[in-house]
Amino acid sequence: MSAPIGDLVEHAAHLLPEQGPLQTFVHHNTLHAFEDLPFHDAVVRAGELFGAQPFPTEEELHDHVVLGRITDADLVAVVAEEVADDGLPVVPGGPTRREFHVHRLRHLLDVPRGPSLRWLLAEAGDLGPTWAELLAAAPKVVPTAAAAPRPRDRVLAETGVDTDTLVHPLLIRLAGAFLDQGVAYWPMPARDQGFLAAFRHLYAKAGGPPDRFLRGLGATLREQSTWDAERTVAWALTELEVPEADWGEAILATLLSLRGWAGMMRQFEVRPDRAPVAAQPARLVDYLAVQLTLDLFATRHVLAKAPARGAVVEVTARPDVELAYEAFVLAQTMAVDPTPDPAAWLALVGDCDGLRRRRLLHAAYERRHRVGVLDGLAAHQRMSTSDNTSVEFQAVFCIDEREESLRRHLEENTPTAQTFGFAGFFGVAMNYRGVHDIHSRPLCPVVITPTHDVVERPITQGRAVFRKVRAGWSHHVGVGSRTLARGGLFSLGLGAVGLASLVGRCLFPRQAQRFSHRLDGRYPRTRLDIGYTVEEMVGIVGAVLRTTGVLAAPAPIVLLVGHGSSSMNNPHESAHDCGATGGGRGGPNARAFAAMANNPLVRAALGLPDDIWFVGSYHNTCDDTMTYFDEDLVPARSVAELDRAKTAMAQACVFAAHERCRRFETAPHDLALDDALAHAQTHAVDLGQPRPEYGHATNAVCVVGRRSLTRGLYLDRRAFLVSYDPASDTDDALLTSLLLAVGPVCAGINLEYYFSYVDPARYGCGTKLPHNITGLLGVMDGHASDLRTGLPWQMVEIHEPVRLLLVVEATPQRLSAILSAHAGLARLVGNGWIQLVAWVPEDDAMFLFRDGTFQPHLPETTQFPVVSRSAEVYAGQRGHLGCAHVLAGVELPVPVLATAQEVR
Amino acid sequence: MSALLIAALGVPLAAFLGLALAMWFGRVWTEGVVSGLVIGAAAISGLSGVALAVVCLVDGPGSAVLGTWFAGFPLRLTADWLSVPVVVLVGLLGCLIGAFSQRYLHRDPGYRRFYLLLALFVAAVQVVVLAGTLDLLVVGWELAGLASALLIAFFHHRPGPVAGGLRAFITYRISDIGLIGAAVVEHHGGSHTVVGLLLVWAVLGKSAQFPLGGWLPRAMEGPTPSSAICYGAISVSLGPYLLLRNGVDGPAVIAVGVVTALYATLVGRAQTDIKSSLAYASMTQIAVVLVEVGLGWDVLALVHLIAHALLRSGQILRSPSLLHDHHHLEQSLGGPIPGTGRHFERILPARARTWLYRFALERGYVDAFLVDRVVGGLVRTVNRAAVAEERWVDRQAVTR
Repeated sequence: MSAPIGDLVEHAAHLLPEQGPLQTFVHHNTLHAFEDLPFHDAVVRAGELFGAQPFPTEEELHDHVVLGRITDADLVAVVAEEVADDGLPVVPGGPTRREFHVHRLRHLLDVPRGPSLRWLLAEAGDLGPTWAELLAAAPKVVPTAAAAPRPRDRVLAETGVDTDTLVHPLLIRLAGAFLDQGVAYWPMPARDQGFLAAFRHLYAKAGGPPDRFLRGLGATLREQSTWDAERTVAWALTELEVPEADWGEAILATLLSLRGWAGMMRQFEVRPDRAPVAAQPARLVDYLAVQLTLDLFATRHVLAKAPARGAVVEVTARPDVELAYEAFVLAQTMAVDPTPDPAAWLALVGDCDGLRRRRLLHAAYERRHRVGVLDGLAAHQRMSTSDNTSVEFQAVFCIDEREESLRRHLEENTPTAQTFGFAGFFGVAMNYRGVHDIHSRPLCPVVITPTHDVVERPITQGRAVFRKVRAGWSHHVGVGSRTLARGGLFSLGLGAVGLASLVGRCLFPRQAQRFSHRLDGRYPRTRLDIGYTVEEMVGIVGAVLRTTGVLAAPAPIVLLVGHGSSSMNNPHESAHDCGATGGGRGGPNARAFAAMANNPLVRAALGLPDDIWFVGSYHNTCDDTMTYFDEDLVPARSVAELDRAKTAMAQACVFAAHERCRRFETAPHDLALDDALAHAQTHAVDLGQPRPEYGHATNAVCVVGRRSLTRGLYLDRRAFLVSYDPASDTDDALLTSLLLAVGPVCAGINLEYYFSYVDPARYGCGTKLPHNITGLLGVMDGHASDLRTGLPWQMVEIHEPVRLLLVVEATPQRLSAILSAHAGLARLVGNGWIQLVAWVPEDDAMFLFRDGTFQPHLPETTQFPVVSRSAEVYAGQRGHLGCAHVLAGVELPVPVLATAQEVR
Repeated sequence: MSALLIAALGVPLAAFLGLALAMWFGRVWTEGVVSGLVIGAAAISGLSGVALAVVCLVDGPGSAVLGTWFAGFPLRLTADWLSVPVVVLVGLLGCLIGAFSQRYLHRDPGYRRFYLLLALFVAAVQVVVLAGTLDLLVVGWELAGLASALLIAFFHHRPGPVAGGLRAFITYRISDIGLIGAAVVEHHGGSHTVVGLLLVWAVLGKSAQFPLGGWLPRAMEGPTPSSAICYGAISVSLGPYLLLRNGVDGPAVIAVGVVTALYATLVGRAQTDIKSSLAYASMTQIAVVLVEVGLGWDVLALVHLIAHALLRSGQILRSPSLLHDHHHLEQSLGGPIPGTGRHFERILPARARTWLYRFALERGYVDAFLVDRVVGGLVRTVNRAAVAEERWVDRQAVTR
């Protein structure tokens, strides 16, 4: 035997989607398993394996060339980097290699292929001597048969019948029933014994399903009742006549045929703690055994009914007509005579194939974005911004790029406010259980396993009893209305209520939600029970305040702003929550941090003055509301200051909502400032709204450095902003821990958006409109499809697929040292999953990491628009915007807008 | 009254024709114009229904003859206690779902097509509801079937929805034999029993009753709002309405209702996705309505039909928020959500439970029997005949 079945399954499991149940959505690199490869190789390899797109389509990228989003300079620069050139024409009188590539990228050429080309050539008659020579010189190719590792592929090729159409519906039903977390009224019998056992329990009984392909299944299952899954897999593969050497490939291909369900089985196997209600003892190998058993029966059935015709395999080598024709057309459009050396011309044309063009165009697309942002950062840093001496309050936000606009507006409106960015769990890694939660959940980055429990304890009573009765009743109606007798009574009795709710939800969504919410009553007053020792608290508080720089000069009020998002009609709701809390809501972390920092012993240990106060708060990014915690504990001297801070925050929320609404096509261009919050809130509560917010769709950049460098720079909600002061970090310890946390988290978000955008059908989960929640775990398209993983199109539709541009305020030497010491980070950066830039503002220098070294970035634009309010930048615009200096209170007008517009 | 009757079905029809012409000639109207037109048309249709109700209350039920299709086939519309409430319901739901879909389908490439089909569906259903003769009803019935099959196949670039739409379309065609047969028999003065039985045949497909209900869960491939209006509410309700309209009751109707109600409630209990679960819930309640119709409890049946339509379409619209609601429910209850299906474990022995569960999970094996055995058998026989014929032709050619 080549390798034990278990190892083969383990190997295949790495290539399955790693998305767990939707309740705890954590962004991750869709191609995490390929991170060992350079990005460009990985997307191609994975694309072949999954049948997915590696880059945006050439048509889409070419549109960007036409619209000027990709400039000529970008094309020339990218080709110069990627294409080797000896400066000589490839054929006499023709272009050099680089000139050819630039021309090829600049013009979209729709070359007919396959039958349409054959037809065209037959119609065209004699195309002249050039064509004849090119055709004669064209390389001979043998058509390659598609790889067919699964018996199903062979059967399909030979008989034209797809056995998956027999097997998949049944397998989907079984997997759905086994993993179901509470949709079905009846749970699957015997599922506590594992998937294979439950399957045997159901299907080994006599009187089985009458499907013709399942004939004899019961007897086989009875015979195998004592076999383990590995033995069944080996038996099925042998019966399917798969050579042992190919077992690994066959297993992988079999699992990938329904990779969503296989992946969920795997997730239940390795992370049972993430199951929303109860984890069944799932094993991927059990699932594989069931799938292969069904495959075997289906294959036997199909082969028995439709004897194999034998697939027609073409072995004759024929000239590559498509290439020859493409070369012919290009020779004409470029006015080149390839006849002196047709082979060289063909080789050149063949070298610049569709995949390469897309790769180059995408590189040019990324380059334009990168240059725009780097130039903007550099230009802004050169603008003198007057330092504020009196700071009234400070606010520490999550690094999330959605908070960029809130921070900017806050600073714009309230010059005495100062903001910082730190990962939204604020160093408090905890298992948290809120007053209404039924079990605790970790609120910290997924790589950390929290050891502390924090519990929210009520100190006054809410309307718990009323709430409970109401919930019980609505549950009773929800379940009962689907049954026979109770359903009859409920539908008769509740028709009028149904009408009221229907009218409310369809026509007045915001009012309907408010009414429903009001019935729940007030949230009870609570406190957190924090089980940390003073030393631990000092460590947490000290680390955050030191890294951000708050400790150096704390303001009288320090707000900690955690964030999350609440929305209706959104199975992917938790994908909009805070990534730094592992897909949870960061309010409790902010609250716990504030409680720790307000502890007198902690203050004494850190030397914090007595007249400052920390307040935890929560920002709902979907409706732009703020919640403040433990306000009753605020000492009297700080109350007025806190009120001022709250007013400023409320004002900033309005502006941020206004800026965000410009992305929604439903919002008019001239949306009044006063209507912005209402518009955003309607999006959050509307059952008919598939775009509650655009989430991370605008992410593209991450800046690690002092806020003073970016304060007042319009970054269009596109940048994760991490506060870091190099001056206070003498031994790089702070920077190292920041990069280790920020790099993978931001790259995970960024790459998940990249892949879901580039191939919404394979990497993403497609349009939301037909989504159907199954088993409280995930979504299917309609009633029986694979479990769809990735992000829905409505979440990513406005995304720009560029790799994260990570700009760090540090010298190349320091970054190189950190990279060489940390293999994981080096792999992400070295393989090009992140674009890393070292920024040395003192020298006005930037270095882009490429091909293993930091290479200086040469600025192209030094002039950016200068405005006094953010609204002047975004007014009337829907698309992505370039950088601009927003200098509140500066005399205007300053430079020209026209030059800067091009940078977009 | 004639004006109101014509408005109730003519306005949605005009909206459909207007949209269809605009799309035919390549005019691209904005989303707002397209949806506004359809919502407005549905609203006018519903309001005409309200006005008809007033007229009916004052003057009593009435009808209007719009002319004669051809000899013996008058175009008659009827407003009475049965049709008027359903006209109002259809107008109201068309208007509400139209408003809902403005946000739901925003930016979808098929936005205009969706509203075109929605307008056709509303107009067609109003024809069914107001038709005073079986012949006119057939017209609406066919158009409604076409519109709903096309809505199921809305995402036609994937094979699943197209297969689902085709399945519904074929089922409709098969059951249409009953309806058209009934119209023919009626014209030839056939017995009421035969007409009744043929109408029950028509209802089996349209209302997804046993054993022709397999298309209903597959119909959930379309966008959520169209699932809500067609399969939660109106489309499946047309069956009982047809029987009420033609005064069909009796043991056959009761039998269909009882068998389907038991079947659908069993099968529905094992469904693990929310839309299939709701589809079988709809099937169950429509079956209960059929029982009521069969017993001659017409008023109860009508009230049940309308109330069910309102409740169920709301539930389907809410189904994408299931995870949110589940979380909220857990929090409000302050504990895990109580398990279901314990009667099942208490009452039945383990062996029977396994059998019953498998029966439910496999959706009563109906597909295996109908598709694999009946339809498949037919196809295989035809294929065999074709092969035999080919062989015969070849032999003839050789001998000649």
